[in-house]
Amino acid sequence: MDKKKLGIMEIEPLVHDRYCQDEFSLIGKRGVSRMCGKEKAGGRAEYTRDVQLPGMLYCRILPSPYAHARIKSMSTEKAEALPGVRAVLRYDDPELADKPLFGLETKFNAGHLPSDGQAFYHGKEELAVTLEQWKQGAGRVLDGVAWWEGHPVGAAVAADTPELAEEALSLIDIEWEELPMILNPLDALKPGAPLVAAEINSKNNIIRKLKIEHGDVEKGFKEADKVIKFEGRRRPYTVADAEPMSDVVLWRGDNVEIWAHQQQAYDGKIIFGMKMGIPLNRIKLHVPYQGSQFGGGGNPMMHHTHGVHIISGLLSKRTNRPVKTFYNRRDNFYNLSQDADCHTTFKVGFKNDGTITAVKIDNICGKMGQYGIDHLEENTRIPNLLLNYLETNINVAPAYWFRCEQNHNALCLSMVFDHVAVELGMDPTLVALKNDGVEGHDMEYLSKFKRQHGFPDRDSLGEAIELGRKAIDWDKKWHEPGTKVLPNGKLHGMGFTWTHEWDDTRGTACAGVIMHCDGTVDILSQKSDDGLNAMTTHCQIVAEEMGLKLEDVNFRFFEEVGFQMMTPDGSCNLAVDAYCTRNAAREAKQKLLEYATTPIKLIDITYPPAFPDNYPDDLDVNDSVVYLKADPSINVPVAEVVKRATLNQGGTRAPLFAWNWHRQGRYGTEKGRHRLTRQAYFCEVEVDPGTGGVEVKKIVNINDVGKAISPETCEGQQYGGDYMGAGRALGEEMIYDPKTGVKLNANLIDYKVFTMRDVDTTVNLLLETGMGYGPYGLNGIGECIATVVPGVIGAAIYNAIGEWVDDHPMTPDKVLKAISKAKAKRGGLK
Amino acid sequence: MMQKQDDGGDKKITMKINNQEYNMVIKPHWTLREVIHDKLGLTGTKEMCDKGACGSCTVIADGRPILSCMKLAIECEGQEIETVENLEVTGNPLVEAYANNHAMQCGYCTPGFVMTAKALLDRNSNPNVENIKDALEGNICRCGTYPAHIGAVLEAAKKLEGGKK
Repeated sequence: MDKKKLGIMEIEPLVHDRYCQDEFSLIGKRGVSRMCGKEKAGGRAEYTRDVQLPGMLYCRILPSPYAHARIKSMSTEKAEALPGVRAVLRYDDPELADKPLFGLETKFNAGHLPSDGQAFYHGKEELAVTLEQWKQGAGRVLDGVAWWEGHPVGAAVAADTPELAEEALSLIDIEWEELPMILNPLDALKPGAPLVAAEINSKNNIIRKLKIEHGDVEKGFKEADKVIKFEGRRRPYTVADAEPMSDVVLWRGDNVEIWAHQQQAYDGKIIFGMKMGIPLNRIKLHVPYQGSQFGGGGNPMMHHTHGVHIISGLLSKRTNRPVKTFYNRRDNFYNLSQDADCHTTFKVGFKNDGTITAVKIDNICGKMGQYGIDHLEENTRIPNLLLNYLETNINVAPAYWFRCEQNHNALCLSMVFDHVAVELGMDPTLVALKNDGVEGHDMEYLSKFKRQHGFPDRDSLGEAIELGRKAIDWDKKWHEPGTKVLPNGKLHGMGFTWTHEWDDTRGTACAGVIMHCDGTVDILSQKSDDGLNAMTTHCQIVAEEMGLKLEDVNFRFFEEVGFQMMTPDGSCNLAVDAYCTRNAAREAKQKLLEYATTPIKLIDITYPPAFPDNYPDDLDVNDSVVYLKADPSINVPVAEVVKRATLNQGGTRAPLFAWNWHRQGRYGTEKGRHRLTRQAYFCEVEVDPGTGGVEVKKIVNINDVGKAISPETCEGQQYGGDYMGAGRALGEEMIYDPKTGVKLNANLIDYKVFTMRDVDTTVNLLLETGMGYGPYGLNGIGECIATVVPGVIGAAIYNAIGEWVDDHPMTPDKVLKAISKAKAKRGGLK
Repeated sequence: MMQKQDDGGDKKITMKINNQEYNMVIKPHWTLREVIHDKLGLTGTKEMCDKGACGSCTVIADGRPILSCMKLAIECEGQEIETVENLEVTGNPLVEAYANNHAMQCGYCTPGFVMTAKALLDRNSNPNVENIKDALEGNICRCGTYPAHIGAVLEAAKKLEGGKK
């Protein structure tokens, strides 16, 4: 098989996909119905929550009632005596003696590990605790100490019904030793602050320090015409995903079956196997539909990903029955993905023409937070950058990727740029264009890089801004801050922000393509369907490449067969994974054409091929029909060509199967693998000066996706992200009782997820410059919008009221205070 | 708080679900959602918030959309319940319209939206955009698919109207 001839990309993470055809029949076409759509809309789609097996037991894990406490003694006798309770797993049971939550030593990571050659960016990282201690930071599967309210600790109960399991928990007698707790990262750093997790660090509450430095910021500040300082904060918010977490494990003798609500379920399987000493070929993994994930379901060190498998597994082993461990909605608020509380101090130097000369950022974050310099590094020509990052331990659950780990990065870039534009009285779009670049280099350098590596050379940001300005009527509507009062009495504001498009083309994936004897195809790979339309888009690619009808291709990702895809149905849905499906499809098509032209000779009979007088190169496939290129009227349906393949009686052909593995660099952004595409956002708000309430009237998204395989899917990510981003900007926040650390709004009534009424209009524009690193020149879109939109809303609020809020979420009380401040400054709003 | 198992004994109840009669013995504290989803295996009626906040468990009871997580099953004696599974059986165009309009992403909340939309179309076969927003604004979708629902409901309404002619 000549891979070059087939146009199968060699693994070269800096090169543009040069084997991209000019015309497509399925890829990029509108009007392709969603393949999972009827199943989902008709209520037939099965989620882990829906899985019920004969004899299944229900498991509940004890959530700690305290934000920080130790179990002094625990009696489970009453719980065990309750009729219908089949097993109680205790934290001090021998099976749990060596079960830290962190186990995949070779794991990919997103910067949460110290510099082991895998860290996200090249900073100088320093752990305040040992690596071993740091790994314990997520706790053990079941522990005798709780580090946050709701921390799964003490015991897990398996019973005949959910109610019995719940009741049994209430019968567990625990004598707790309450310990002092801290919720705010700044408090955790105060001299004499109590230790929030002495088991990890017995000296202080610092987990990690990181310093990233480019150039010389002091020199940059000296070169500046003006230097400003300001502060920002992003308070913690949470995923509040649709499907409450659950899993099912059935342990039978030497074999285990797992049903996982997990984004990277295969990793969960590996960890389960490692921890339990079960060979991977003895673990059967099912991955039903996922009721949303947004990244955190991929974390291999969180309780809700592999911790629950271990608990379900041990209880199943003890009882010989399938066990479903399930969280209720409140548990989901306790333990699932969330973003850390993050305090930021900015110092920015710039010239009068808008050129930024230096940015210094000091971040202090809660446990497993994220720092905010990367986008300034990867996306601008700013030569001098300095980040000091301090990660503290506090008594809330660890933060983890929630669409996505770059939330704070995007917000920091927005704040820096919008503050500079305001200080200069400049149009913020011009400030962006002035500083567009990459890793301290200007656009000329980037153009040269693009040309060297075979990419088109287009001005992604310039094009995006032009589209956006027109779509929102920027030239007419943008105005001086705090100067426009609408006839309805509201204050009108316009905002703009930008950053690079998500280039999450990194990591590895593999997939197989198998054709059955009726000519239909299955794509084989473990991929969790979180809603990115992976089923349709990968089927579009395979059908396009093989010349098949779309309905003849299916993506069988619910059963894991050893292949796994990168961030399954997450960041790398197409940017990495589609290389595999595309390459496998091309090989499979070649095999099909060989089938069509190769006779099968047995002793007494020869089976002629469909095209006995031709070579594979004479043929092509379209609409599931193999035809002669020279005379398309001579054709044979694909099903006829392969009818003798894989039959177990009378079969004369090997299965038509091809598979492909692809690697896009290492996992983690590599220096020098420049981000080429851009995204821009415009926003229009109305602020009620009486209540501080903000109405989002319009958000315009312009995303350079390189190439849209499914435009409707891309647009779905755009408007979907708008609602989530607006929620983050204006309302979403986890509220803790400062005295006890108990969550006060851990439900979907008090935690405000935005609804259909909360954003008026979204305008979704796709740029397709072909400058992505993925196949067909595409790159990702799913993470971008919710991540960047809070920044643009912040800028629009400033434009409306003439004062920065910079404390997210920008709730009415904060906006009102800012309005008062603006009035005091200016002697009243104009 | 979950109620205990022994709080009042089992109750016999008759309900019509998707045009089929069910005679069941239930616990008095079971919600309609639990009965539909856990006991009858009609798993399209989803649990998301379990507090009547999100609409994912919407079913139609005696012609009205209700939150089945906030309704005890014993309150439904003699009622006619319709769940999302009935839509494809009866050829309701909403299901296909939702797929065509990509009015779902992860899909977990989708059946609740579909049933809310079905109740709207039952009482107003020619809704405008505002009518649709009024009907669906109580449903939460974490993926933020909201704008796509408008097109889906309009498409289904058009098909229903066409079918009447």
